[in-house]
Amino acid sequence: MSNPPSSGGGPSSVSASRTQTLKRSVQQAFDDPNDRGVGPNMGYQSKVRVIDRYKVIGFISSGTYGRVYKAVGRHGQTGEFAIKKFKPDKEGEQIQYTGISQSAVREMALCSELSHVNVIRLVEIILEDKCIFMVLEYAEHDLLQIIHHHTQPTRHPIPPATVKSIMFQLLNGCQYLHANWVLHRDLKPANIMVTSSGEVRIGDLGLARLFNKPLHSLFSGDKVVVTIWYRAPELLLGSRHYTPAIDMWAVGCIFAELLSLRPIFKGEEAKMDSKKTVPFQRNQMQKIVEIMGLPRKEQWPHLVNMPEYAQLTTLSASSHHRNGGSSLEKWYYSTINSHSASSIPSSNASLGSEGYKLLSGLLEYDPEKRLTAQAALNHSFFQSGDKVSANCFEGMKMEYPHRRVSQDDNDIRTSSLPGTKRSGLPDDSRPGKRLKE
Amino acid sequence: MAANYWESTQRRHWQSTREQLDVLRKKLEDEDQNLVQMYPLAQLRHLSIYFNQQIGRLAKRLGVRQQAMATAQLYIRRFYSKVEIRRTNPYLVIATAVYLACKMEECPHHIRLVVSEGRTLWPDFFSSDTSKLGECEFFLISEMSSQMIVHHPYRSLTALQGTFSLTQEESVLAWSIINDQCMTDLPLLYAPHIIAIMAILLALVPRPNQTGAQSANNSAGNIASAAHAALSSFSQPKAGAPEKQGGGARTKLQRLANWLAESNIDIEAIVDCTQELISFYEVYEQYNEKLTREQINRFVKARGLDK
Ligand SMILES: Nc1ncnc2c1ncn2[C@@H]1O[C@H](COP(=O)(O)OP(=O)(O)O)[C@@H](O)[C@H]1O
Ligand SMILES: [Mg+2]
Repeated sequence: MSNPPSSGGGPSSVSASRTQTLKRSVQQAFDDPNDRGVGPNMGYQSKVRVIDRYKVIGFISSGTYGRVYKAVGRHGQTGEFAIKKFKPDKEGEQIQYTGISQSAVREMALCSELSHVNVIRLVEIILEDKCIFMVLEYAEHDLLQIIHHHTQPTRHPIPPATVKSIMFQLLNGCQYLHANWVLHRDLKPANIMVTSSGEVRIGDLGLARLFNKPLHSLFSGDKVVVTIWYRAPELLLGSRHYTPAIDMWAVGCIFAELLSLRPIFKGEEAKMDSKKTVPFQRNQMQKIVEIMGLPRKEQWPHLVNMPEYAQLTTLSASSHHRNGGSSLEKWYYSTINSHSASSIPSSNASLGSEGYKLLSGLLEYDPEKRLTAQAALNHSFFQSGDKVSANCFEGMKMEYPHRRVSQDDNDIRTSSLPGTKRSGLPDDSRPGKRLKE
Repeated sequence: MAANYWESTQRRHWQSTREQLDVLRKKLEDEDQNLVQMYPLAQLRHLSIYFNQQIGRLAKRLGVRQQAMATAQLYIRRFYSKVEIRRTNPYLVIATAVYLACKMEECPHHIRLVVSEGRTLWPDFFSSDTSKLGECEFFLISEMSSQMIVHHPYRSLTALQGTFSLTQEESVLAWSIINDQCMTDLPLLYAPHIIAIMAILLALVPRPNQTGAQSANNSAGNIASAAHAALSSFSQPKAGAPEKQGGGARTKLQRLANWLAESNIDIEAIVDCTQELISFYEVYEQYNEKLTREQINRFVKARGLDK
């Protein structure tokens, strides 16, 4: 079998340790049950050690699952790496194996399987010391950072060619994911990485999942999906069916944000109440309605079947658009022209009406009419004007600041900070069915 | 990729020839000669049958569906192509594979539930310590290089059902043949669609004293003779005019033969699959559950692997 010891990982040190194990086991096959294996007296031992293979040069970020570090290879592996470390649950003072969370399992499995220029590349996964280390190619930037940079010290637009290239690459990555039955479900600027050579990489597959699984899977029990600002209206209205269209709405929001440099629908999240029932996200829906107008059943036939349909009437009172008219077009033109009054030359006005058509196709209320990733790639927006570059920084004079890497926590092995939310309980488990015997 | 078998890790890393598989297994045994000699075990196919039975028992208690069981079986098969079985507690490996497969197949169960069911099923061989299962999960995933997305023949079967106008009964039979091949090496040797076609072929071949769709392994002899018939019909594909006689299944069989002839599907592969399954059904006849269980339990106890 041609299976490498770890996905894509350089085999050198692995095979070395393997021959070592091999030698030892020949001598002590019987006496030493400790060298390899499961069971009582033989703990699991990783064949590869993170610190033997990588030199951690700084700390990038910490989340609910654990932390992300920046590293370089110790054995001449080219490039830089981001190592995402998942920590296990603590039971009392001692770190215990508690079972890997379903979302971590999905992320590991999907990252191992996926391979596309616009999706973050997994180098290897090391399971060591009850922790999971996902070694990823390092990406110098992300869209959150890039957008933020354009608000400093004053707002100045992202050049149109950059916007176009980012959108094309982002859609290209989405198209690949969707063609392979993968829903990302958490597309937002912070999760869209950009390499120093201007290549967009969709990252953070922590919420991603396959949607070709039969039965109840599309009718999922997970409670929280997609950061609220990027959440599609059908989800806000209580739909529990996940479709690629949900990702496409988020892509539309990201496009808008690349143009205006702030989230287009910046709602406030209604927190779950004590009974753990998911509340209607009134404020978020309101923000959408303010720009898009109220959805109408003439334009979205299934609207009336949405669980939270009744809630819409309570919105209309406070809405500026009682007739359901959309002011997206107005929003778009005032956004792309807003900077042209100033002396800054690189206005987005050149994105023109094709840009509006793409935006409105992505921010379409009816998920069935919303542009698919493939359709968006074929959109005239990308055919008109200059050729789309595979390097979104092409022609730019400035360089974006590098990712902040801090030094205060370099010890990937011992650092003990947050990170329990994503392990332990299967995060979207339903009450288990049990057959009677 | 995930939906694309051709680019999947399954095809790229977990598909091999029989010879490669043999070399791999031989190497494992050679590395652990002492163990192998001290604890003789039934042949791999019998172990697979035993594992399948145990998975079935656990799955029943957990209410796990067939596809997740097939995934668990494949995980176990991959794992034991890299780790000598006598170094492990197979009951723990089975429970862990089921636990992991359920997460991958979107029907997760809490680790504590899996452990408590394992305790109930195998009280003398299974620790109540959930961290043992958690640890074994690391071992399993690590040996599989985190390549946990698997492709089964069920989807091809579903897709081809219509093409060959399978009756309900024929589909059910083909489905159960696919279940059965999970106990063979076929999932490590052939693409899922090849296996699905083999299953359809066997489901269509008229059997002597056909008693309807029942779990294929209950009628191993029947299937074996049917498979022989199918093979011989392939060696003289255009001989005679069987379409006219014998009714539905026969016509469909002819249609399948024609369809295969026009496709670029490797007929040799299908013949080989069929043969593998026949020999499996033959070996099944000699399966001795008690002996197999005792052999496994013996090394688990003697080596303290149950602690
Ligand atoms: N490949 C990478 N290169 C550089 N930084 C990364 C990389 N992956 C993640 N990061 C940084 O770590 C942060 C958290 O990673 P992410 O995968 O999004 O995890 P989560 O959002 O689940 O906490 C990202 O927002 C980004 O700042
Ligand atoms: Mg993130």
